[in-house]
Order: sequence, then C-alpha cells, then structure tokens
Amino acid sequence: MLTLALESSAKAASAAVFEDGKMLSFTIQNAGLTHSRTLLPMAEGLIKGLDKSMTDIGLVAVSRGPGSFTGLRIGLAEAKGLCWALDIPAVGVSTLEAMAYGGPILDGQMLCCCMDARRGQVYNALFTVEGGRPVRLTPDRAIDLPELQSELIARQEPWILLGDGAELCYNTLDWEQVTLFTAPEPLRLQNARGVGLAAMGKPPVSAHELLPAYLRLSQAERQRLAQLDEKA
Amino acid sequence: MNILAFESSCDETAAAVVADGRKVLSDEIFSQVALHEIYGGVVPEIAARSHLEVISLLADRALEKAGLARADIDAVACTYAPGLIGAVLVGVNFAKSAALALGKPLIPVHHIRGHIAANYLAFPDLEPPFLCLAISGGNTMLVDVRGYTDMRILGQTRDDAAGECFDKSARVLGLGYPGGKPIDELSKKGRDDAYDLPRPAVHGDNPYDMSFSGLKTAVVNLAHHAQQTGEELDKAGLAASLCRAVSEMLVSRTMAAAEALGHRRIAVAGGVAANSRIRVDFQAACEKTGRTLYVPPLRLCGDNAAMIGAQGYYEFLAGHTAGPDLNAYATKEL
Repeated sequence: MLTLALESSAKAASAAVFEDGKMLSFTIQNAGLTHSRTLLPMAEGLIKGLDKSMTDIGLVAVSRGPGSFTGLRIGLAEAKGLCWALDIPAVGVSTLEAMAYGGPILDGQMLCCCMDARRGQVYNALFTVEGGRPVRLTPDRAIDLPELQSELIARQEPWILLGDGAELCYNTLDWEQVTLFTAPEPLRLQNARGVGLAAMGKPPVSAHELLPAYLRLSQAERQRLAQLDEKA
Repeated sequence: MNILAFESSCDETAAAVVADGRKVLSDEIFSQVALHEIYGGVVPEIAARSHLEVISLLADRALEKAGLARADIDAVACTYAPGLIGAVLVGVNFAKSAALALGKPLIPVHHIRGHIAANYLAFPDLEPPFLCLAISGGNTMLVDVRGYTDMRILGQTRDDAAGECFDKSARVLGLGYPGGKPIDELSKKGRDDAYDLPRPAVHGDNPYDMSFSGLKTAVVNLAHHAQQTGEELDKAGLAASLCRAVSEMLVSRTMAAAEALGHRRIAVAGGVAANSRIRVDFQAACEKTGRTLYVPPLRLCGDNAAMIGAQGYYEFLAGHTAGPDLNAYATKEL
C-alpha cells in the first residue's frame, strides 16, 4: 500500500510516494504558481515510474495550511478527489510541521518554521528535535515579528530558521539578541517529503473531513468584523 | 454513458450524473447564497472555501441519488471556464483527480455551453442548429448554435451582464441579494411605463452587441436622487420599467439575429431566463413570427451540474477530453 504525499502551499509544488514508512520517490517544481497544471501530473508520473497504478494508493497525505489560500485548495481538492474516487482516507498535516520534518532533524536542535503572512506577520510554529522527530513547542499561529523575537529570546538558542519566511525573519529580527541560522535551501522549504513524514502515525480522516487550516479569515470577513467592532 | 459532472464556477457547488447527455439521474446543488447575502454579493474567497468544504459530499449524494456505484461512472466532466478562478479551481482539481483515480476520461466543459445544453435536458427533441440567448449574472451572449460543439458568438454585452444589472439595481432598491427574483416579483405590482429608462445602443458595426451599464447607472441615479430629495420612489414601477428595458434590448436583438440567420428555433438559457417579463416577451415575439421558443424550467436555468453533464456528453463524442494537466480559467472563448 502506497502513501501519496502532496504539497502546494507556496511557490514550489511537490509530490512524494512512500511505502512502509520509506520514501520511494520524490519530485519538486519550483517555477512559479502553476500547481493546478503541474501537481497532479507530477503525482501520476511518480506512480507510473514505480510501475504501480493509482489504485495502489491507500492513503493521501497533504498539507492543509497555513499557506497560499489558492495553493492549499489545489492540493486539498486533488487529495479529496483521489480519496473520494478510490474510497481511501487522507491525512491533512500542518504545513509548518511538514517543514520541520523536512528540515535538519538533529537531536536538541531548535526549529523556527515561518512563512511570510504579510501585514508584518509570519505564520509560525516552534519545534525542538527529540529522538529524530520534531516535537511541537507552540501551535500554528500568525504572529507579529517582534512578538516572535521575544519568544525566541525566552527559549533556548540557537534557532534554525525554516520556510519561505526564513529570510524575512533573518533580516528583520535582531540577531544581536538571538542567534539565528537559516537552513540551506533544499532543507528550508516545505515539500512533500516532509508532508509524508509528518503524516505517519497521525489518525486518517475521510475525504469529507479533510479540511484546510487557513489560520486567517477572508479579507471580506475581516473587514466586516472590523466594522462591527467599530460600531460596538 | 454515465457522466459524473461538477460545477463550481460561482456560488453554487453542484454534482450530477447524466446518462447519454439527455437523462438526469441525479442533480445535487448546494447554494451558497446564505453565505454571501450579508456582503451584498458573491465574495470570491468565501465561495472558493465553501466549494472545497462540500464538493466530496455532493459527489457522494449525486451517486447515491442516481443509485450508482463509482464503477458505473464512465467519465467525469467539470466546468473549467469561465468563472471566479478560485472557485473554478476547486471543481477542476477535484474532478481531474477523481477521473485519474477512476481511470476514466476527463471532459472539460465551458460554463456557457453548459447553460445552452440545459435545453437538451428540458427538451428531448431539441437538436442544433438553433439560436440561443445565454443570460446570467456573469454573461450575456447571443450564440449561433450550429452543432453541439460548433458555436459562434453573434453578439454580447460590452460591459455588465444583464443579471448584474438586476443585482445592482436590487441592491440600491434595498431588495437584497441575489436581485433577480425580488425585482421580478416587485415588477408585477408596478407599471412598466412608470420610468423612461435608456436602452443604450452600442457603437461599432455589430448590431447584436449590448450594453447594460448605462441602464444600471440610470436606476442607481434615480434611487440616489430620490434618497437625497426625499421624493418617494415608485419602486414597483421602477422594477417593472427595468425589466421591460432589459427585455426589449434582449428580445429585439435576438429576433433580429433569428431573422438574419434564418433560425426558426430560439432557446434562452442562464439564470436571468427565470425572469417572467423576459419569458413573456420572448413567447409573444416567437408566436408573432411563427418561431418555437425553448426556455428550460427554473431549476435548470440557474447554475447546476446536470447541464455540465449534458454538454460533457457531446464534448466527449467530439473527442474533447483532457488530461491531469487540465487548468481552470477565469475567461475563455466559448
């Protein structure tokens, strides 16, 4: 039984195939926002390359957010379509956790996973590594950069920055106060390998129950709530 | 041939099973109107989010109502253009993954072609050629339907769609969203000569092109003027005059095109085809000139997946299938 992992939360799209906890194949394309056209053919190509068929897939793992709203929906809609048609379950994993699993997993290492959320914020979660696995220190959240800096200072250093927000943090945070490193690029960005690893051992859900975690309301909802707040 | 079809181009998520392009085995629709009402119109991001939440449930229900299993599906069709891009993407990506996993052909369907095909479901004997006026919240076009997949746009709106004109007018009259139905109902209580509204002609050499933005602005200005001066607005009269103006613009161009191209059969499609004034005027114009009018029942006029399954069948027969690299498009030639 194969696990197909899909990742499309940001600029790169990637797919990976696992069997019995081992990655059999992996592909990534980092050429701009073409996920709707490229992600499914990438997955199909991997399955064909293994001389297997789509019906050999027994589980689909996919990042459910945070990330680009549209990017997430492309991956999730494809995961739902596959799971619905094959009548198999899915595991939706946190993009930030997948990022940690794909990073430099050395015991005792502190990992700061971040994606540029604009508006002076990053989507972020903090992890440490124990027994070769990332252990979560915070929930996924959208956080202001100064607040993140205080948290990093308060905990053990040094920190390895991961994600497409790594450079933003590296350039914005005051590293006289906290020691920061950015991971080399192949380990820095979220990808389907991390998604597959993060999904292992997590309880599977049905296609219906596979839902995104955007961490942010739509702009129209935010504006409406702000207007209601003002009136109150 | 059983086609499982999906539609997600605007604010309705729909899944259906259609046999041989003509027989509806199931037709499931989840309307998002309640989600968008408080915003006075469709919010694209909210629409896309909602589509993703319900699409697999609708697929289940479509199969269940049709009494079929996954193995009974011979092909998967979906709307791939035009529409709100985030919304269309959900249907396209779900449908193409399902088709790939089922090992069945994937059929991309143009949304307006789907609206036209709603007529094949309502009228089993109707076959091309005929003339079709497709009118909805997002599109207004006059189409020469020469074959099931051979169509030519004769004319279209240069700016707003007819449905948008109704929606915006309803908003300034305080009738809520969507505006088509309340305007229609209110118009029955008013005189259609209460207000002298413009029927804009468009410049250029295409006599079948249309424009609705001037009409919309006229209604908005009347409403604002009344608000500022405290004058009482004859809302029912304004609604009736608006329906008349829209109807006259549509009917005159459609009948002129039918005359010029020698079409004896005229079909109307899309959500705005639900408007009773437009239905009555078309019926009268067709009776007067000895033409046959086709207008689908209300359920098939609005967005639905059965019409996508109907058109999907004819696209399949014409060899129009796609692979897993199918993309979604906000706009696309008919």
